[in-house]
Amino acid sequence: MAKTIFRCWSVFLLLAVVGLAHGAERVLKVGVIHHSPPMSYVDASGGLTGFNVEVMRELCKELAARCETVVLTLDRVVDAVAAGEVDFAAVSLLVTPERRARLLLTKPYYRSISVWFARPGVKPGEARVAVVKGGIQARYAQARGWAQLPFDNHEAIFGALATGQAQATLLPMANAVALQQDPRMSAQGLASTVVQDPELAGDAALGVNPRDRALLDKLNDAIDEIKRDGRFDRINTRFIPFRLQ
Amino acid sequence: MTTPAKPADVHRTWRAGRVLLALTSVFAAIAVCGVVWLAVDLYAVGVAAGRLQGETVPWTIERQRLGRNLEQLRLEGQRVLTASSPAGRQDALFLVHVLSAQPGMADDPRTASLAAEVERFLQQVEAPATPADMQVWEALSSRLRLMADDLSVEGGKRMGRELGRMSGEMAQASYKLLFNLALMAGFMAAFLLVVRRYLIRPLQRIRRVLSALDPRGPVPAFPPGPMAEIRAVEDAIVRFHATLLENDEVRLRLERLATTDGLTGLFNRHHFMALAADEMARAARYGRPITVGIADLDHFKQVNDTLGHAAGDHVLKTFAMLLGDTLRQTDRVCRYGGEEFAFVLPETTPEEAQLLGERLRTRLLESPPVLPDGRHLSVTFSLGLADASGCGLEESLARADLGLYEAKRAGRNRTVVTRRPDGL
Repeated sequence: MAKTIFRCWSVFLLLAVVGLAHGAERVLKVGVIHHSPPMSYVDASGGLTGFNVEVMRELCKELAARCETVVLTLDRVVDAVAAGEVDFAAVSLLVTPERRARLLLTKPYYRSISVWFARPGVKPGEARVAVVKGGIQARYAQARGWAQLPFDNHEAIFGALATGQAQATLLPMANAVALQQDPRMSAQGLASTVVQDPELAGDAALGVNPRDRALLDKLNDAIDEIKRDGRFDRINTRFIPFRLQ
Repeated sequence: MTTPAKPADVHRTWRAGRVLLALTSVFAAIAVCGVVWLAVDLYAVGVAAGRLQGETVPWTIERQRLGRNLEQLRLEGQRVLTASSPAGRQDALFLVHVLSAQPGMADDPRTASLAAEVERFLQQVEAPATPADMQVWEALSSRLRLMADDLSVEGGKRMGRELGRMSGEMAQASYKLLFNLALMAGFMAAFLLVVRRYLIRPLQRIRRVLSALDPRGPVPAFPPGPMAEIRAVEDAIVRFHATLLENDEVRLRLERLATTDGLTGLFNRHHFMALAADEMARAARYGRPITVGIADLDHFKQVNDTLGHAAGDHVLKTFAMLLGDTLRQTDRVCRYGGEEFAFVLPETTPEEAQLLGERLRTRLLESPPVLPDGRHLSVTFSLGLADASGCGLEESLARADLGLYEAKRAGRNRTVVTRRPDGL
């Protein structure tokens, strides 16, 4: 009899502990990239910030989760999310069939285009194009057989353009804005052209661990919520001079 | 050819349980239909709310963002035309290109064409802008502003329309809810009415009838009702009343048999003695006069022997009837045995009793027994009376019997009062 009571108490305590653990704040690992202004970068005070970083923070608040950032390079993002090293990545991924096959992707939170920057007279394919490894632009250049100058991040591209190491680059819209506003670029006289190609434009989404569909649903709801309550627009205003759509 | 008419008292009845079950089923069916009917609207409201939340609100926010981008496009265009440096102009023009190429801008044909027009204009304007350029720009700028205004309110308009539709659906749902409630209330009222009319009222009537049920009263009558159980109880009450009446009649018959003489209908001796004892006790208690007497028909044996026992019985019955007609209601008389009759006359002195006896004698003379064949019989009787005040019944009757004996001895057809031994 005493043994039965002891077992009952043990099961009860176990359930209670499990229940408490379940009710506790969830810890999420979130992949972020550095040196990709205005989306994700370290500001003057040394803190990680940027449009995607701040959006990620609001999403974590909405999910009532404590988010721990894991720094990745862009070319590692898809692999890391697919392998479950991170729960989701606060990186704008242009939705492609290949990415959709490997990851869960949230609903699009904006749409992006790509911009070609080059020294005057340099046309696509004529010079080595600086691209970030793992980006859609790198794949685009590769598909067209363009000579590439691969970098780990966008700031490295900015530096290469500023020093004359690179003659041209193909960047996502938001990074293009940052490049255009970079004071170092004014002396370069770079010409910009929006590339109207469907391969370089489209929906931007967040990549989610393919084994965590519940998290995907929660993130989708959270994106809707922060768009509805204005938090998304406030972040937009802080980092980009027009509305992302 | 005619259909034979049904008997008037045959009424169709239903079992209460089945009726209530049927009513409940009908009510449940109606309620389910009402709920489904209401649920259609509630579902529509839910769908509309979901659409508002999931589509219209995001669409409205996107419209506002698009309007904001148009405004931004206008500002950047202004900057292109008024920039003090080529770099500044370049920056602004860059943003003009990006804004114009934004997918959001291309979604709406109006904004797409206006943005393209603005982009083309700003692209071809050379710095510094001429007054003519500025004039064109003012027109474009105004169109940008107006379109931004239009976009800003479009979301509100769409939300307003959808909210209006939703309110209509909610109002409709409210009316349906009210209708359903009214229907349910009506049905409940009808249900209670049925229960009251066909169950409670009949039960109350049954209670009234049962509490006033008297076997000698009228047969209970119930209006024909439709409930089988009630009808069964009512029929049982009618049968119960008949049984009660039958039992009462049997009881009376038995009582009569136990207290009366079968031939004359007068009290029998046993019952008479009990009644007489009561009268004696009452007289003694109030000190009132009381007289007892014993009468005997003269020569009655001769009647029996010569005319037969039937004639004798007829004489006895005739005399008994005469006694019943002549004596007062308070007087008690019985067939004491054979042709002897005993009396107890309350509130009567022997003298008054003697007068009564003489009146009886006169009436017997005037109305002699008549046989069925029409012969008149001359019948007389002898009567012994005794004052029973303050005496015992047996003793008084013994004295009356003594008086009777004296009357017989003195020649019959007379009355003899036997005085008490104390001379009173």
